[in-house]
Amino acid sequence: MRPHSGVRQETQQVSEQSERASELERSVARRTAELAKANEDLQKEVASRRRVEEDLRSSEERHRVVLEAASDAIVTMDDHGVIVFANPATTRLFGYEPGEVVGKPLTILMPQPMRELHVNGYRRYLATGNRHINWHGTELTAMSRDGREFQVEVSFGELSTDGHRLFTGFIRDISQRKQAEQIQATAQLLAAVRGDVSLAFGMEGSLEAILHECAESMVRRLDAAFARIWILNRETSMLELRASAGLYTHLNGAHARIPMGTLKIGTIAKEQRPVLSNDLLNDPRISDKAWAKNEGMAGFAGYPLLIGARSLGVMAMFSRKPVTTQTIEVLASVADLIAQGIERKRAEEELRATERRLKEMETELARVVRVTSMGELAASIAHEVNQPLTAIVNNGSACLRLLANRKLDPETLRLALDEIVADGTRASSILSRIRAFITKQTAEKTTLNVNEVIQEVLALTGREIQAHRVLIHQQLKPGLPPVLGDRVQLQQVLLNLIINGIEAMATLTDRPRSIFVSSQINPINRIQVAVRDSGTGFSSQPEQLFSPFYTTKEHGMGMGLSISRSLIESHGGQLQAVPLSPHGAEFSFTLPVAPEAEP
Amino acid sequence: MTPPPIVFVLDDDASVRKSLTFLMTTIGLRVEAFSAPDEFLRKPLPDSPGCLVLDVRLPELNGLDFQRELALRKIHIPIVFITGYGDIPMSVRAMKDGAVEFLTKPFRDQDLLDAIHAAIERDRARREREQELKGIQNRFETLSSREREVACLVVQGLLNKQIADQLGTAENTVKVHRSRAMTKMHANSVADLVRMVQKLNDTMK
Repeated sequence: MRPHSGVRQETQQVSEQSERASELERSVARRTAELAKANEDLQKEVASRRRVEEDLRSSEERHRVVLEAASDAIVTMDDHGVIVFANPATTRLFGYEPGEVVGKPLTILMPQPMRELHVNGYRRYLATGNRHINWHGTELTAMSRDGREFQVEVSFGELSTDGHRLFTGFIRDISQRKQAEQIQATAQLLAAVRGDVSLAFGMEGSLEAILHECAESMVRRLDAAFARIWILNRETSMLELRASAGLYTHLNGAHARIPMGTLKIGTIAKEQRPVLSNDLLNDPRISDKAWAKNEGMAGFAGYPLLIGARSLGVMAMFSRKPVTTQTIEVLASVADLIAQGIERKRAEEELRATERRLKEMETELARVVRVTSMGELAASIAHEVNQPLTAIVNNGSACLRLLANRKLDPETLRLALDEIVADGTRASSILSRIRAFITKQTAEKTTLNVNEVIQEVLALTGREIQAHRVLIHQQLKPGLPPVLGDRVQLQQVLLNLIINGIEAMATLTDRPRSIFVSSQINPINRIQVAVRDSGTGFSSQPEQLFSPFYTTKEHGMGMGLSISRSLIESHGGQLQAVPLSPHGAEFSFTLPVAPEAEP
Repeated sequence: MTPPPIVFVLDDDASVRKSLTFLMTTIGLRVEAFSAPDEFLRKPLPDSPGCLVLDVRLPELNGLDFQRELALRKIHIPIVFITGYGDIPMSVRAMKDGAVEFLTKPFRDQDLLDAIHAAIERDRARREREQELKGIQNRFETLSSREREVACLVVQGLLNKQIADQLGTAENTVKVHRSRAMTKMHANSVADLVRMVQKLNDTMK
């Protein structure tokens, strides 16, 4: 540009210059604006980037905190199954030092049997995408560094980066929860089995039936293949099989009676310690391994039934699955309950047996009392009858004295004779009263086997027979029809005849003392019982023997045969006596056959 | 002259009572019969030798227990037991408690009459003993206190002089007391006096 070239030129020059200047200015302004914008954008960009970076950093921080603070173990493994990350909880849960697990295969966190399953499953998943376990919340068994196994719940996530696949597992220790569940389940099971057992012992029934219910409960609730209960017989020291449920229900056979101390059952009872085994095939206590193998038996549990230090028996079960700790716990508790039940039941049974024996003794006593009350009766008869007899004798004697002194006047004699006749009549009425009393005694007539009655009386007189060294011969006809009669009254008659026979031989020295008792049925269908002795016999008329107060014995009352005849006659029978030659006597009675037994 | 003996019969059976009365009167005994123990106890016993024929079985009281009851009441009447049915322990107890005889009904009349005679004899002897003792006692009562002292010392075998020394009196005075005592006691000799005093002593025991 030239500053001195004419006005026009100069003006033109000035104009051109000004134009240029403003254009420059505009240009500068535009550029500046552009720059400013660029700068602003840049600043925005920077700010944005910084924000992202910060976000990222904060997110990582948060994750780190989460990972480190998590109580669950979080483990990441690569596609080779090698641990690439483990959070602090992992080392805490599994007992490893921090950093100790990274680089190790995941399988170190598993018990041996799981490892192969895991490796195979994982390999298959990588190849096929088929998961071998549920990835969300699967319960597995884990193993700590010191080999302790514990229950865990595991969830998995998968992440692929740069062609690498990473798997992150979240592992929660649920052993405490499991334990609580287990305790609860055990408690429930225990309550159920105890309930069964209590119910069984509450039943009215034999001990066998009760124990069978207990064994059934073990099969049903404890998954036993079969369960058995033996009771110790204290006298023989034998364990006797009293209940068997499940696979075997018979009570006889090889294990029906086991001597104390032999086989595993006898050992349990003797040593009073339970025997448990989940390794039957290698356990020396299991005798029949071939059987266990064939039947697929896996576990055995046997418990002594103890009351204090006393073995009552053994209960045992075989199972096709290993016997669980839960089952063991239940068995231990139920064994006590069963033992107590057996003890109580036994006490009850003993009490009942005692009552029964007592009742038998009472019956026996009542019988003996009735039989011996003949003696009491004799005393009473003697007193009653002796009063008029005394009066008769006194009156007679007085008359004889007066007669001897020639002082007996007819009036005195008449009065005395009146007295004598009255007392004689009185004596005989006393006798009929007594006889009526004896025969009308509420006779309890039942159908009886006469031979049984004979045997009972022979048993009752056993001591007397021995004391007098008498030989008893019996010829009892078997299969006799029954008679209708009062057992005790017939016993009284037989007792009387046998005692009479024994007494009739008391003085014998020259021949054996023997009594022959026979029963038969005679041609007119009557039962005939005879008692024959080798004694002194009788010389009087047989009928005289049956009159009251007739006796051949020194201390006899003379009432036995009289009463016996009354008793037999009240049974519709007859009692008679026959002297035997050369010595002895036979007393026999007949009885009609019971009506319903007539042909 | 002693009064005639009497037999008491205690039996609840009228026939027996009647026949026993008849039997005993034929030989001249006095008889009185009772049917119950308290009936017998209400009756004042006469002062004559006698015995009780007692049935063992009585309606209210056992005859053996009645025997003891009589002993407690100091009624010393000899007892002949009769019973319709007796055993050995029963008879042993009766005899130990002083029964004369234990007869089982019906008995021979002679056995009963023998027993009754023995019992009456026993009662008679007892009564005589009592009678004699009573006489001695009565006579002894008539002695003065000094005569009693002297009599007791004589019985101990002391001489008159020794007695006089012990009582602090003259020998002659002793002789007088002694003589009076002998007379009052109806003692013929010193031995007689000794026997009498001995009997008195026995009853005191």
